Amino acid sequence: MSGRFERTQTQMNSPESSSSRNFMATRTVRALNEAAGLLRAPQRVVQLFSKLASDELRTTFEHRHLYSYAAATIPVADALRSVVDWILHAQRPDGGIAAYYSLLTGYSELYPEVTGYIIPTLYDFGRLTGDPTARHAAERATHWLLSLQMPSGAFPGGLRGPDSDAQPSVFNTGQILQGLVRAFVETHTETRNAEILERAVAAGDWLAAIQQADGSWTGHAAYQGAAHTYYSMVSWALAQLAAESSDPRHAAAADRNIDWVLAHVQPSGWIDGINLRGHPAYLHFIAYAIQGTLECGILRRRDDVIQAAAKPAWVLLRKFETHKRLLGTYEPDFRGGQRFSCLTGNAQMSCVWLRLFEVTGDLRYLNAALKMNEMLKHLLPIKGRRGVVGGVAGSYPIWGAYQPMRFISWGCKFLADALMLEQRLTREFEAKFEASGCA
Amino acid sequence: MRVAILCSSPYSETGCAVSARLAQLGYVPVGALTLPSWDRSTLLRKLGQWGLRDSLHYAIAKLAPGKSTLRKQVLNPYLERALRHGDGVFRGLREVARTYGFPVVTCGDQNSPRAVAQLKQWSPDLAIFTGGNILRDQVLKVPRLGILNSHLALLPEIRGMSSPEWSLLCGVPLGITIHFMDSGIDTGPILLRREFAGAADCDSLADLRNRMIAEGIELIAEAVAGLDRGTIAPVPQAGREKDCQFFVMHEQLKAVATRRLKEGRLNSVAGRSDG
Repeated sequence: MSGRFERTQTQMNSPESSSSRNFMATRTVRALNEAAGLLRAPQRVVQLFSKLASDELRTTFEHRHLYSYAAATIPVADALRSVVDWILHAQRPDGGIAAYYSLLTGYSELYPEVTGYIIPTLYDFGRLTGDPTARHAAERATHWLLSLQMPSGAFPGGLRGPDSDAQPSVFNTGQILQGLVRAFVETHTETRNAEILERAVAAGDWLAAIQQADGSWTGHAAYQGAAHTYYSMVSWALAQLAAESSDPRHAAAADRNIDWVLAHVQPSGWIDGINLRGHPAYLHFIAYAIQGTLECGILRRRDDVIQAAAKPAWVLLRKFETHKRLLGTYEPDFRGGQRFSCLTGNAQMSCVWLRLFEVTGDLRYLNAALKMNEMLKHLLPIKGRRGVVGGVAGSYPIWGAYQPMRFISWGCKFLADALMLEQRLTREFEAKFEASGCA
Repeated sequence: MRVAILCSSPYSETGCAVSARLAQLGYVPVGALTLPSWDRSTLLRKLGQWGLRDSLHYAIAKLAPGKSTLRKQVLNPYLERALRHGDGVFRGLREVARTYGFPVVTCGDQNSPRAVAQLKQWSPDLAIFTGGNILRDQVLKVPRLGILNSHLALLPEIRGMSSPEWSLLCGVPLGITIHFMDSGIDTGPILLRREFAGAADCDSLADLRNRMIAEGIELIAEAVAGLDRGTIAPVPQAGREKDCQFFVMHEQLKAVATRRLKEGRLNSVAGRSDG
């Protein structure tokens, strides 16, 4: 989701040259703009105050026991349906999916990056439930994304609105590539199949072409012009593409970047180089770095990479188990951070733990993920209007520092992924237990 | 041997049973340091552990001493032997203390300066931990020999929380370890390590825990006597470089562990006994 950052930063404020005063002014203007949204749709005041009040009550009376996972009552299937419905409602007729629903301004403009990497989630849900709606939504999303691809093969950063620019973005191209590869795999009997692969290869070729010799991505197409270790998500996409294209350049580009990321893993498990000037290291980005590394390691069959991802994942697992929560941001070496919860990062960590359980068989990962999912289900709004019900808030409480007052599409994506993984892996675990008599 | 007791509540059955059992064997505690009975977090934890019905039942048993049927009731039936006293059972630490003549001191935190000062005043050779806070160095180093803990799993294989349940799921034989506490979680030197043989008779995880707690108390008594006679010595844990810490088990996994217990799928390794 870094694209939201990228747009606000690159369009409204050049991060390399801006002073902190300009940055504050930009943020103030944005906040006023958002607040003015209530004047355009005053009916949103009710849901805004309702959410503010419920989070205030929860944080006051329930905070210590928020993660008392045993108390969650929503079945996984119901929560999953609810979250996927939120995504489907956020999809516009042309196929693009809104970035977020703001309690102040309503639905945002469409977001290519998230539309791209929601595609695998929609296909997974369609397969799991047999629901053709989700599959159809994935196809429409793919069609919309193909219309945005630049001649270079890159995809643009930021949101798509009337004033959209067309700056190519490494990260967003990588995230969209995930969706294109999956769309190719899912449509292997269809006529558009060849075109989708061709477009995905073009995106992969562009990523490989502009990659630095050390494996990182910097320059105009990288956020703030700097290299970031959370671009391991791009490596993951390239590894996925390599599996389908059989082009060694894509695999080599993925390996080069992941080797560069591995050089940033500290003895504490902290992955240096998230490198977001002007922003703290939100759990969302930390989890990106871990998740991209892990998934790339699994696809490339590299145990060193999996081990490197398992290290910070285990540190965060211990923190979650000990303190019953993860912080919304962390300082280097996980030394502390802001006390709100970044729910998207939590859902991503659940995905990471579940995949580590799948890879290693260590039940402690499954245990932590089950608790995390319980907590996330517990916070899902089960009542309210479209945009709210089934939505994953940027922060808990809703006024926390990460995407305040918003229900965000990528949060829903990661929670849906986590719930589907939970369903699959717990079923497999129980079946294995029944069959062998040995857990 | 001067033995002190560290307790999570004046009504902790385990704390009462350990104190009473040691006193029955001639090791009357020099004092017991307990956390208060009714702080909010304990209450919520107990409600979570026992449920509303059992918690109410327990509270009534504590508050209605005139009813003889309740007087005789204990939550863990396997502790009855240690808790039996005349025609009734000990209902709290203060009753045990009155009977055997040792002081009970309540403190808000077992690591507080007040608690440390009290322990130092008793000058114990050994302390037995039956529940409470995570102990810090300033408390751990007060007793001359150290502080003993009964851990409901074989160490070092399974450290931390929900240890019987994790033993069942991970295919590690059920067992109990008596060890000295150090600043890590269940990482201190081992005195006794014994496989638990009674699991086949258990019909639930709660039943299993109750039986293991009762056996742990017998092992504590054995360890105290062994230390007193000089017949046992602590052995540092091997394999500490491996992270064997486990955390509270989710209900969904507990259900699998319960099935495993009921189906009698238990591991046993010959020769896993005293360490």
